[in-house]
Amino acid sequence: MNSHDQFREQIEAYAIGSLDDADRALLEAHLASGCANCVKALEEARWLVSQLAYLAPDAAPSDMLKGRLLQTVRAEAPGGSGQSPVRTATVPSWLWAGVAALLLFSVYSAWNEQRQRSAVASLQQQAEAQRAERQKLEQELVAAKLQAHEAMIWSDPKSVKIMLPAKDPKMPQLEAMWHPEMGICVRGWKVPTLADKRVLQLWLIPKKAGSKPMPLVTFWPDASGTFSAMVENPPDAMSDTQALAVTEEPIGGSQQPTGTPMWVGGVS
Amino acid sequence: MFLAAFSPKGSEQVSPDATLMQQLLRRDVGAFEELYERHSRIVYSLVLRILRQGPTAEEVVQDVFLQLWRNSSQYDVRRPLVPWLLTLARNRALDHLRLKSERQRRREEQTEEFPQIAAAAPEYERALDEKRRAERVRALIGSLPAAQKKAIELAYFEGLSHSEIAASLHEPLGTVKSWIRNGLLRLKEGLQASS
Repeated sequence: MNSHDQFREQIEAYAIGSLDDADRALLEAHLASGCANCVKALEEARWLVSQLAYLAPDAAPSDMLKGRLLQTVRAEAPGGSGQSPVRTATVPSWLWAGVAALLLFSVYSAWNEQRQRSAVASLQQQAEAQRAERQKLEQELVAAKLQAHEAMIWSDPKSVKIMLPAKDPKMPQLEAMWHPEMGICVRGWKVPTLADKRVLQLWLIPKKAGSKPMPLVTFWPDASGTFSAMVENPPDAMSDTQALAVTEEPIGGSQQPTGTPMWVGGVS
Repeated sequence: MFLAAFSPKGSEQVSPDATLMQQLLRRDVGAFEELYERHSRIVYSLVLRILRQGPTAEEVVQDVFLQLWRNSSQYDVRRPLVPWLLTLARNRALDHLRLKSERQRRREEQTEEFPQIAAAAPEYERALDEKRRAERVRALIGSLPAAQKKAIELAYFEGLSHSEIAASLHEPLGTVKSWIRNGLLRLKEGLQASS
């Protein structure tokens, strides 16, 4: 056996790594000398030795290992974050991304809900203001119509003026205007302020004997003693009416006079 | 058969690993994931057999595949990938198993880089698919006498030298040398016979 054959017999042991130091040093020197046969034999022996791995009992790594590896590789790949992740990281990046997205969505939802609530409250306030404005306009419109109606009664030639002198000489005189179609208006100035929960009430006194006074509108003077009241549809015609009278009554008015008339004016 | 007769004789069939490694050279993460799916199980099985500790074994497997990813530019796609992965994994696992001795360092120098590992797979390498070849390896080594099989396992999985194995098994040094060499030659012949 020549030296080459001796080295050739050691190739497998060298490939598996079991050669003792002295034998390994001699073989490596031989390989370094350029022995093509031994180099080729070593390449094949290394492949053969690698097949011994199949003697190991079959086992599978955990999914966490794959997750960590892919996390690192993706970070190093072109277009990746370029940051090497912590080796011991156990939470995958997609989960952090999910948590961040959920947090952002929650914050946005809370903000959006608050924004919508504010918008609804603002719309409600606007609607309330518009409703109040409309009510005010309607009241002003009614008042304007009444004023126009009263003005027409006071100015129309068909109207008949009725003076209502006070029974008390210290009290001012009232005046009324009766239009056959548009109704009756009555007004006064410098009328004394009434007691609490007391109002003035206008009465229609029929000509027919035995008939009771007919209750009409109630009213009260303002702080300056001025008032104006109107009856659009009197219950009886002017020709059937003897007089108009005004009494002081409890608030809400009465069906029959509870006291002596304070003002009375004959209808001619 | 009819179509095969018209195939260019001697044309080399590109292996799936070679295709994936070409994609890996272009930093394709999908190719890396596919390579991991294909080979992580045998790599982990080998490392776990050596270290016998799951968490440490996973650390080694992680290092092996990261080296595959980071040093893919050094890889020659004409060479088989799995022997390189297994050799690197074995070396890394043995490094963890005991402190690096001079012998360990030398082994690392021999096999750490791509060109020095299985530069040319034998002709019979493609005769069997991986699953059938694994079964054949287990059958062939399993058929050896128990002491001979033990000597090979001590060399491969424990990284022991001839002298260390002889001391461990209380056998003459020459016997251990013969067991290991003859056992590997029988494995080679058995795989050749299967082709």
